[in-house]
Amino acid sequence: MKVDHFKGRKIVGGKARGQALVSPEPICFLGGVDVKTGWVTEVGHCLEGKNIAGKVLVFPIGKGSTGGSYLIFESVENGVGPCAIVNRTVEQVTAIGCIIAEIPMLDQVEPDPIDFIHDGDWVEVDADAGTLRILSNDEARELSESALHGAAAR
Amino acid sequence: MILTDQEKKMLDGEEGYPAQKAMQILVRLGEIYDADRMIPVSKVHMPGSSVVVAGEAGTRLVEKMAAQGGHFKVFTTLNTGAIDMGSWSEIGYSRETHDLQQRLTRAYEKLGALACHTCTPYLIGSVPRLGEHIAWGESSAIAFVNSVFGARTNREGGPSALAAALTGVVPNYGFHRQENRYGQIHVKVATALSGTVDYGSLGYWVGRRTDSKIPVFTGIPKDVTTDQLKMLSAALASSGSVALYHIVGVTPEAADFETAFGGHQPVEVLTFERSGLRESEGLLNKHQNQPVSIVVIGCPHASIQEIESIAKQLDGKKIHDGMELWITAAQPVKAYAERCGFEQTILAAGGRIVTDTCPILSPMGYLAKARNMHALATNSAKLAHYAPGQWGMPTYYGSLEMCIQIAIDGAARTVSLGERHEG
Repeated sequence: MKVDHFKGRKIVGGKARGQALVSPEPICFLGGVDVKTGWVTEVGHCLEGKNIAGKVLVFPIGKGSTGGSYLIFESVENGVGPCAIVNRTVEQVTAIGCIIAEIPMLDQVEPDPIDFIHDGDWVEVDADAGTLRILSNDEARELSESALHGAAAR
Repeated sequence: MILTDQEKKMLDGEEGYPAQKAMQILVRLGEIYDADRMIPVSKVHMPGSSVVVAGEAGTRLVEKMAAQGGHFKVFTTLNTGAIDMGSWSEIGYSRETHDLQQRLTRAYEKLGALACHTCTPYLIGSVPRLGEHIAWGESSAIAFVNSVFGARTNREGGPSALAAALTGVVPNYGFHRQENRYGQIHVKVATALSGTVDYGSLGYWVGRRTDSKIPVFTGIPKDVTTDQLKMLSAALASSGSVALYHIVGVTPEAADFETAFGGHQPVEVLTFERSGLRESEGLLNKHQNQPVSIVVIGCPHASIQEIESIAKQLDGKKIHDGMELWITAAQPVKAYAERCGFEQTILAAGGRIVTDTCPILSPMGYLAKARNMHALATNSAKLAHYAPGQWGMPTYYGSLEMCIQIAIDGAARTVSLGERHEG
C-alpha cells in the first residue's frame, strides 16, 4: 500500500518543504548534533554521520538534555538546522526549541510516518493545516533542481 | 485556557516585552498540552546557563530580556556554566569562551538569578518540598527533585524556564498534575548494587527501555544513599527522558506498590539482573584501549561525602605524571572541602576541584585537542554517555575507586571491572 498523505497535530505553525531524515530512535541535540555544521555526532545513533541541515527531521521523541531547546534554536540561527520537525509524541524541550526557532512542528501523525517515509523523500509539512505529504515526482524534481541550482549559485 | 487578569496583562504587553514574550511561550505550551490554567511556581533552575548550550543566539535572547527591563519573579538558580569562573585561564579555557560566558551570566544576574552554576542546586540549599510546584531544567536535577523530594516540575528547556522565571507561572500540565505522576513500568532489581556506579548502570539500562514513562523500582534497599540516587537520576535522564521515578519504600510518593501505581497495573515489567550491569558497562566503555588522559568525578556535581572518600583514597599518594584528575563540584561544596582539609589532600596529590562547570557543559573538545588528551575515565554513566558524541573523547567507565586508581597508576584497568561481574 502506498501512503503519501498524513494527518497530524500542529505544535508550531508554518509550512516547509524539504528532504526527510528519519530516525526510529529518539534524538538529543546536546552531544548528539553539532549545531555549527548540522552533523549528527552521537556515537552508535542510527543517524550518526548524517546531516540535519534543511531536512524535515522525523523522530519519535526528544530525549536527554534540557539544553536541547537552545541548541535547536542555535542550529537554525546558524543555517544548519532542520526546516521542520515531526515527532510521534511531542516533548517539551523539542517543542520549545521549535517555538523560538520558528520552524513548523507536528506530532501524533497518522499513519506513523516513521514506517512510511524514507530518508531523502521530498516532503511538505503544513503545520497550520496539520498535514504532512510526500511530494509527487514532479514536485520533488522541481525542488531538487532548484536546490541544486541554489547550491551552484552559491 | 483561563488566564488571571495579571496573566492577561502580561500577555497584552502591559508589563513590557520580556513578560509578554514569556507569556506567549507559556500560553503556546499550555495549548499544546491542554492545560486549563497557569499555576505559580516557587523556584526556577535555569538550564541554558552554559554558553555551550545557549550559544550566541541564546545569549542574545537573555541579554535582550535584561536590556528590556525584565526581572525574575521567583528564586532562580543557574545551572552549570562553560568555565570555572575562578581559574578558567589556568585550566586552559579560551578568552572567547570566558567572555561569552560572562555576558550570559551577567545578563541572568541582571534579571535576578543567583549565579551558583551547578547541576545540583539541591545539594546547596535549593530544596523543594513534597508537592511544591517548581520549574526546573537540567535533566538529572529534574529526575532527582521530582522523585526523591516529590516536588513537581516538567522537563523545562532553557527558554521555558526563562519564561517561568519572568512570569512566575507555568501551564498546569504534565508532572504538575497528580494523575500524571503514577508509575507505569515495574522494574524489579534482582541483583545487588554496589557503590554509586551500579546505580548509574541501572539507570542507564532502564532509561534505554522506558523513554519518558515512569518506572517504579522494587528491590532497592531503604539505606540507598543520596549519592546513589543522584547517579540513578542522572543516568535515567541520559539514555531516556525519564523525569520521575518511584522507589517503593524509599521515595515519598511510593509508600507501597499500590500507591506508586495509583491502583493501576504496570504496563510492563522489567527485571534487572547482573547481565544488565554488564550491558551498561559495555555500552559506556567506548574506548579501544586508548591511554587515559583525564579522570573526572562529579557528574552530577560531587557531594562533600564523595569528595571525602576521594581524599581518603588519595591521602599520601600522587596521581601519575601527565594525568589530570578533576572533581567537579558546586562552589559552596568546594569551600566546605577546603574547610575540612579534603581539598588540600586532593591538591597535594595533583588533582583539582573544578567549580561552576563540568566536561559536558564546557568546551572540552577544544581543551582535549589543545592538550593532546586521549581517553576520559569516569564513574558517571551520564558523562560516559555524552563525552564520545560531544567531544569525541573515548571513555572508560567504572567505580569511583577504579577511576581514582587509574589516576594514580596512569593505566586503565577495565579488565578487573569485567571480572567483578563475571564472578
